[in-house]
Amino acid sequence: MLKLSGINAAYKDLQVLWDVSIQVDEGELVALVGSNGAGKTTTLRVISGLLKPASGSISFQDHSLGKESAHRIVELGISQVPEGGKIFTGMSVLENLELGAFVARARKDKDQTLKWVYEIFPRLEERKNQRAGTLSGGERQMLAIGRALMSKPKLLLLDEPSFGLAPILVEQIFEMITEINRQGVTVLLVEQNVRAALELAHRAYVIENGRIVGQGTGEDLLSFESVRRAYLG
Amino acid sequence: MGRKQVIFIALLIAILVLLPVVVKKDNIINLALLVLLYICLASSWNILGGYTGQTNLGHAAFFGLGALSTRFLWMSGWSLLPSVLAGGLLAVAFALLIGIPAFRLRGVYFAIGTLALAQILYITVGNVFSDISSLRPQDLATYQLVPRYYFFLVLALLITGTTYLLVNSKLGLGMMAVREEEEAAESLGVSALKHKLLALSISAFFAGLSGGAFAYYHVGYYPRFPFSPEWTFDSMMMVYIGGAGTIIGPIIGALFFVVVRELLALKLVELHLIVFGILFILVVLFLPGGFVEAWKKMQAAFARRSKERGVKVSFQTTDD
Amino acid sequence: MFVPLAQSLVFGLLVGALYGLAAVGLSLVFGVTKFLNVAHGELLMLGGYASFWAFTLRGVDPFLTLPLTMVFLLVIGVVLYKLLFAHMVKLTEEAKIQNTLLVGFGLSLILQNVALRLWTADTRGITTSYSRMAFTFLGVRFPIVRVASLGIALIALFALDLFLRRTYTGKALRATVENWEAATLMGIDIQRVYLLSFVMGAALAGAAGCLVSVGYSIDPGMGMSWTLKGLIVMVLGGLGSFMGTFVGGIVLGVTESATGYFLTLTYREVVGLVLFILVLVFRPQGLFGTKER
Repeated sequence: MLKLSGINAAYKDLQVLWDVSIQVDEGELVALVGSNGAGKTTTLRVISGLLKPASGSISFQDHSLGKESAHRIVELGISQVPEGGKIFTGMSVLENLELGAFVARARKDKDQTLKWVYEIFPRLEERKNQRAGTLSGGERQMLAIGRALMSKPKLLLLDEPSFGLAPILVEQIFEMITEINRQGVTVLLVEQNVRAALELAHRAYVIENGRIVGQGTGEDLLSFESVRRAYLG
Repeated sequence: MGRKQVIFIALLIAILVLLPVVVKKDNIINLALLVLLYICLASSWNILGGYTGQTNLGHAAFFGLGALSTRFLWMSGWSLLPSVLAGGLLAVAFALLIGIPAFRLRGVYFAIGTLALAQILYITVGNVFSDISSLRPQDLATYQLVPRYYFFLVLALLITGTTYLLVNSKLGLGMMAVREEEEAAESLGVSALKHKLLALSISAFFAGLSGGAFAYYHVGYYPRFPFSPEWTFDSMMMVYIGGAGTIIGPIIGALFFVVVRELLALKLVELHLIVFGILFILVVLFLPGGFVEAWKKMQAAFARRSKERGVKVSFQTTDD
Repeated sequence: MFVPLAQSLVFGLLVGALYGLAAVGLSLVFGVTKFLNVAHGELLMLGGYASFWAFTLRGVDPFLTLPLTMVFLLVIGVVLYKLLFAHMVKLTEEAKIQNTLLVGFGLSLILQNVALRLWTADTRGITTSYSRMAFTFLGVRFPIVRVASLGIALIALFALDLFLRRTYTGKALRATVENWEAATLMGIDIQRVYLLSFVMGAALAGAAGCLVSVGYSIDPGMGMSWTLKGLIVMVLGGLGSFMGTFVGGIVLGVTESATGYFLTLTYREVVGLVLFILVLVFRPQGLFGTKER
């Protein structure tokens, strides 16, 4: 479904990704794990078109994304939940969700999708008229995910959904992600919380200093000696 | 500085010093004086705008304040130098009035504040001093262009020399660090506020002195004239056309400006603003480094081509 | 004592509405694109001349030309955007502000001097058959043209507010104001949002210019003053809050006329500078803005 091959990417003169190749198949929940600054967020930015790679190719369902602009990529069915959620704090919860369905493909089914999102996150319905800035940390993350789902994505990119949340909330959020995946949305999850992510994912990639250094099923990687030592303490 | 550059600069200064001795024509001296005046304006704007990255849309205010107070003090009996100096200091005072509150906030506020200062002074000075300001009869009787020329020459050398020393000092490095990345500079212990205020003060002081020199030079003008926005525009335009954040840039810009204006006979202010306005916008959009940058690029391209051909050539950079 | 003071405050309120209208356009463009277009006042000037010539040459009533003037400025906005401002979309926020300041300043002097060449430095104004009409309340005169202008400014503002709150496109604009990157991830085409807000700002300037030409006077050099009023009001009201901006316009107008009344007209303009510095020192988020989160 999604295929990155040989991606090199840089911010100005600083190269961040080196020959990154990743594949995500339809229906999968794939994790990309690694420490802070390893290049996880950059990989997502390259996929969603916010950063154009210096070389390498990206394809999504036989579509080359290399030249597509970021807003077109959403239209094609990839939706990213950015790090920290980046919800529109000055707008209401409902307005945030409506904006999620901005692309034409999603807008026509907006009301139906909204029902679905409310089913997954009942809390958002309770707070739909509240200003998003008044939400708690966990609710903000739910809103960010809900907003991304509003675009009816085929592939959902999640950037550190556990960041800054209490352990109990992390567990909840991860359950919801599993549920979303079970309902047919392919997920690429970026996490620093390596153990949780590996337990959740079907397959995972390990990224270090901008290079993919390992891959396998979640279980495999969990039992992998170097991974254990590096990330699981 | 390399030895060649030192010789070149010494030669240039010698020519400028000898110019009035060799050329006796007033119109030529006057033209050279104008180039020097514009060098003063552009180079002083450059200290803040080019090296520290803060856009000052009200340079005319500092120039005008210098002119206003110098003219007033000088004609009321002070001798020239203290009058001009006082003009410079007054400009600094007004600059700090905007700079101290604005620099603590984002860059927009400073630009708006300086524009406000200049425009409001322009209107208010026009309201308060509506009569033309002419030199006294005894000054007119003894009026000579050559001392005015030397006054501007000394000032231009002073400003350029100070810029050179500043750029090669720790303060100058701090200023440029603030321009490149304010947060990074702060994290290295460079106080952005302090450096911005210092650059602003120096810039405004020199603009004020230039205004003082203008008051000494000009026979009769409306007091609001030196406050008009085209002085700000001309300063910015010369800096950007020449090359912002370089020492030579404003000098090239000023020379280019005066020469082109003469060639096109753009005596009318409206036409000169239209022509140079378009040129300025083109430079900002498509040639951000101005002439200096273009020259470097040409050299680099030439060097590449020569290399490809296997020809050996040596280059000296125009880097200051 | 009461009547002259009240009269002066009423005039301040009426002109303040136009300051507000000018500032709202400026603030809309700045909020969405981070372009600080210092040629905004010149756009207003062009709007004024468009209405003036429509009235002088064709005898069309200025209130009828208002929508046409807005369309005219919208077109000019598209041209200016495509020609100049589109080049700056990809820059960082700081660089955007700096470059638009430079380009805008150059543009403002160009437009000003083109107008000077074309239409001379004469001060002009539209004098219709009803220009001198006014109604009096408690001894205070309300010129109907200026009151109508206040009404139109309010209508424009409410229409803008409705657009921003109720339509999808309006919400996309507000989302871009908050966080352009997150807006992009919603599938919003930022380039189009930028263009839209820029031309809307131009159209608002056109509307303000039309109202100025009928209630007050216009000349080629007016732009810089109006830009400045707009900028000061924008800071006064708080960056990014449109209603606050409009109220800020009225605050500036009223304060100016009160100063004119109690002190002297000579120093009227200084009020703007003093208010600006006071806001910077004591309330940088603006009179009605909230602190940045």
